This record gives sequence, structure tokens and C-alpha cells, in this order.
Amino acid sequence: MNTFRRFGKYLIVTGALVAALAPIYWMITISFKHEIDQFAVPPKWFRFPPTLEHYAEAFLTRSFGQYLFNSLFVAVASTVFALLLGTLAAYALARFRLPYGLDRKLALWILSTRMFPAIVTAVPLFLIMRDLRLVNTKLALVIVYTGFNLPFVVWMMRGFFAEVPRDLEEAAMVDGDSRFGALWRVVLPLVLPGLAATGIFCLIVSWNEFLFALVLTQTDTAMTLPVGIAGRVTQYGIKWGAMSAASVVAIIPILAFALSVQKYLVRGLSLGAVKG
Amino acid sequence: MSITLHHLSKSFGGSPVVDDLSLEIGDGEFVVLLGPSGCGKTTTLRMIAGLEAASSGDILIDHRRVNDLAPQKRDVAMVFQSYALYPHMTVADNIAYPLRVRKLNREQIQKQVARTAAMLEIEALLARRPRELSGGERQRVALARAIVRDPRAFLMDEPLSNLDAKLRLQMRAELKRLQQQLATTTVYVTHDQAEAMTLGHRVAVMHKGQLQQFDKPLEIYQRPANRFVAEFVGGPGMNFFTEEVARTLLKSAEATQTDADVGIRPEHVEISRVPRDGWLPARVYVSELMGNEVFVFLEIDHQKIIARAPADFRADAETPVWISVAADKLHFFDTKTGLRI
Repeated sequence: MNTFRRFGKYLIVTGALVAALAPIYWMITISFKHEIDQFAVPPKWFRFPPTLEHYAEAFLTRSFGQYLFNSLFVAVASTVFALLLGTLAAYALARFRLPYGLDRKLALWILSTRMFPAIVTAVPLFLIMRDLRLVNTKLALVIVYTGFNLPFVVWMMRGFFAEVPRDLEEAAMVDGDSRFGALWRVVLPLVLPGLAATGIFCLIVSWNEFLFALVLTQTDTAMTLPVGIAGRVTQYGIKWGAMSAASVVAIIPILAFALSVQKYLVRGLSLGAVKG
Repeated sequence: MSITLHHLSKSFGGSPVVDDLSLEIGDGEFVVLLGPSGCGKTTTLRMIAGLEAASSGDILIDHRRVNDLAPQKRDVAMVFQSYALYPHMTVADNIAYPLRVRKLNREQIQKQVARTAAMLEIEALLARRPRELSGGERQRVALARAIVRDPRAFLMDEPLSNLDAKLRLQMRAELKRLQQQLATTTVYVTHDQAEAMTLGHRVAVMHKGQLQQFDKPLEIYQRPANRFVAEFVGGPGMNFFTEEVARTLLKSAEATQTDADVGIRPEHVEISRVPRDGWLPARVYVSELMGNEVFVFLEIDHQKIIARAPADFRADAETPVWISVAADKLHFFDTKTGLRI
């Protein structure tokens, strides 16, 4: 019974891992295969002559290098702005009582902007950006992604701030610090794991975002990786190799960042679950 | 420096928490705010610190109105019940914090932190973090952080309540000694009347947001201003009698006062195991041996009172005893207003 149970457990884990990793393995191998080997029957699982031609095509003859830069720029900038504004808003909502219970209503109102489908705002946003002459600029995407991530940051950080005892910042203020100083020197260091976890989620959302990037960008100056990759599906054919090569590169920055803040990520997500 | 509270009031959502409180605290004085939980003493302290805004009335520090002054500009130090040590900083950084925000140079900070740590005997802990400290050690660090910058006043919110009994006694003595050394004006909040009696130059007893009595500890004990103070202060508090018992009691004590609540401290109730002339019969309900004395719970006419008897007094439950009170030890309070007569 016991062995059977353990075996079953590993079977399920293996199944989950294969389901999650098989597409990624497929993508990585395709990016290194000659076109002729990509859809060979039977499939060439492990042994095939490798090539870098798709990487060369994606990043040397096509503009994936530029897309990569655009994606990085937009994701990092929008994450920084969302964290900056959202953290301050979250602190205020967590600490100050507004008349008529406005603090709680405001928080819910902020969250409600995430409740409708994104496509609803795509057209109005396009029109607004057109009138502001921001269509096809990175700034447009930074603004939209910042707005998109703000509710998430506010709600995450509000929870983290609520975990910090008020006594600490009151002590800091009586000790001679301003409220902002108390926030900066005492409260923020304590919610740093939460901030890291929130930040990486913003980064992932902005990095993967497709819809608004598709609507708001047209050329290489602003186009991000997801749109660029999808653009390789044309009426003349699908560039599987170049798409895969670009996709492999696209997952590297997020993977690297996630690994580097993994320690914070786990602590941030479980913050408050365990007292200490 | 002096602190003056002038008709200070605070209400949360319409219900008054502090009600028309006026206090004058002199320079270098140690004043204890004493009262049961919810009496407004902590709120008063927080208003002095600037963490809570007064609904009406004035707070004066050195005769200057500070109502609208932010906490960081009042130059008072506060010790919190939770200690509120900064968990991500070492003990040294915790103590240095008030100096760092005042932009003192590194040498000065180091010197003052070392001096303060020596005063509280926590030099060995400086490199540790708060979570690695025991309760008593945290308490010392919290005190050090308050003392280090030589503030105009200390505000302490039940600083000893999280310590075990033995440590509390030790820290109480050290606090008293420290205040004598520094001679800094101190406002100390507690619900423990032993702390109030031992520490305070003067004690302000509060109840339901209102000041009941503000006087020297001994005066409060010996001449409580009203029934509340009489019952709250003292361990155990003052006994009060029903009218009938009081009448017989008065007759036996040959006192003349009538139409008043009659009270007596437990230590002024004499107990005899044999009947005596003019003494009142009573029954032992239970007796608690404290080591140095015995608390005897007595029943007279279905009313319970407490007497403090010598350590060698022994009586089982239901034992008949006889009690006597001296007329000059009785306290009289107006039946309607509760005020001392």
C-alpha cells in the first residue's frame, strides 16, 4: 500500500512535469534543428544535427534584438512605476482611515478595474493614444502596463503593510523620523520580500502582454517580443525556427530574474501565513 | 520640562475616551496614569506623544502649545508595550536610530550608543537582532533607545506588562533608579497599582476617561477621593459594606457618621477565632496563604469582605470568626456621588 502510494505520487509528479516541460523542450529543440528535421516522422527527439541558423536569422537579419530591447525597457519601466505609485497608495490605504469608509471603497474600486476583460479598454486606449500622438511608442505601453499592474500592486502591498505592526512606525516617528522616513527606513525593509514578489509578477505580466502591444505598436521602434514572435506567422508560411529561437531568448530574462529572487518570492508569497 | 494637559478630551466615533482631563506635570516629575483597561490612560499618553490628535483641549510642553506639532518635533521618547524594536536592525542600530535621524556624526553616535548600552548593561547584545533577545533584554533595548538622545520627557506605555513576575520586579526597581539618575520628566501608564505606588511621585487615577484623583501615592492609598479609587487601589482593594452590616459595624465601632458608604482596608479588619465583646460574628469563606500573610475571605450577612491576617492565622472554610474595625480606619463616601466625606 505504502509503496503503491509513493509510486502513485511520483507518477503524478512526473505527469505534471512532462505536461509543463514538454512544450518547452519541443520549442528549444526546434530552435536548434534544421528546417528539414523540425517535423520529421518519426520525430527526432534527441539526436539531430544542431544549427544556430534560426538564432542568426531572428537576431541578425530580423529585428528580434530590437524587440527584446523594447520588451525589456517597457517591462522594467512599467514595473518600476507601478511599484512606486502602487506602494505609496497601498501604504496610505493600509494606514489611514478616510471618512465614510472611503479607504475600503477606494481599494475595491481600484480592484474593480481588473474585473472586466482587457479587450474592453483596447479600443478607447488606442483612440486616446492616437490623440496624444503616442501610438507606436514605448511610452504608450509603459503607461498602459503601469495602469494595468497598479491594482495588483496596491492589493498585494496593502496586505503586506497590514502585517507590519503600527507600533514600529509610531516608534520611528516619536524617535524623530518623518512619516516618509519611517516608511523608508523601517516599514519598507520589512516588506521587501513582498515587494520582490509583487515586482516579479508585474514583470511577468508586462513581459508576456500581447493584446495592447498588438493594438498600440506597429513598427520595430515599439514592438515587443510577443507581438514580434507572432508576426512570424504570415500568409506565406510559418517561421517555426526563428519563432522558437526568439521564444527561447524571451524566457531567459524572466527565468534568470525569478531564480535570483526565488528566496524572496517564496517568503513574499507566504508572508503572513506563519508568524515570525 | 513640564507637561500640562488642559481640559483635554478625545472621542472615537462619538464616544468619549478621554473626558476633560487636566493635569500639571512638573519638571523631572514621575507621574503614573493608573486605571483599568479602557480608562483612556494609553490614549492620553498617545496624545502627549502626538500619535493621536486631541478632540478638544490643549497639550502644553514647557508652556508651549504642541497640539499641532508632529510627534517627531515634540522631542519626547516613548517606550511601547510591545517594545516596537525594529526587527531588521541590530540592537546597536536600534539604539542609534533616533541619533541617525538627527544626523549626528558617526563618532558621536557610537559614543552615545556605547554609553547608553553600558548604563543598561547590554553591551554584549549590541550585534544581535531583536528576535534573538529575551523579553527582559528587549525591554532594556527599548529603554536604551528612549534614553540615548536625552529627550525632554519619557512616555512609557505599560513597559513591564510583558515580563514575568520576577523580572518585572527587578525592572521596576531599575526604572525607578534610572529615573532618579536622569531626573527626566516621565509619564508612565499602567493598570498595575503596585507599579503606580512604587514608581510615581504622583499618581493620576483614571476611570472611564475621567480623572478620579491626582495625588501622591500614599495620599491616594490613605485618602481615596471616591469609591472607585478606594476599590481600585490596594491589593486587595477596599471593602465596602451593605447598609445593614454598616449600621452594626458603626455601632460597634462607635462611629457617628450615617447615610454614607462605609469602607475599610483589608489590613484594618481584625479577626478573632474566639468571640469577643462587641465584635461582629462572621464566617470564613476561604483563606489564601500568601507566605507573609493570609488573605481571609469572610462572609457577613451574605456579603463577602477580605481581611489581611498574620501569616500564622489558620482557619478552614465555614469556621466562625469575629471581626472588629477601628473607627478611625473607616472611610466614608457619599452614597449618591461616591465622593469622600
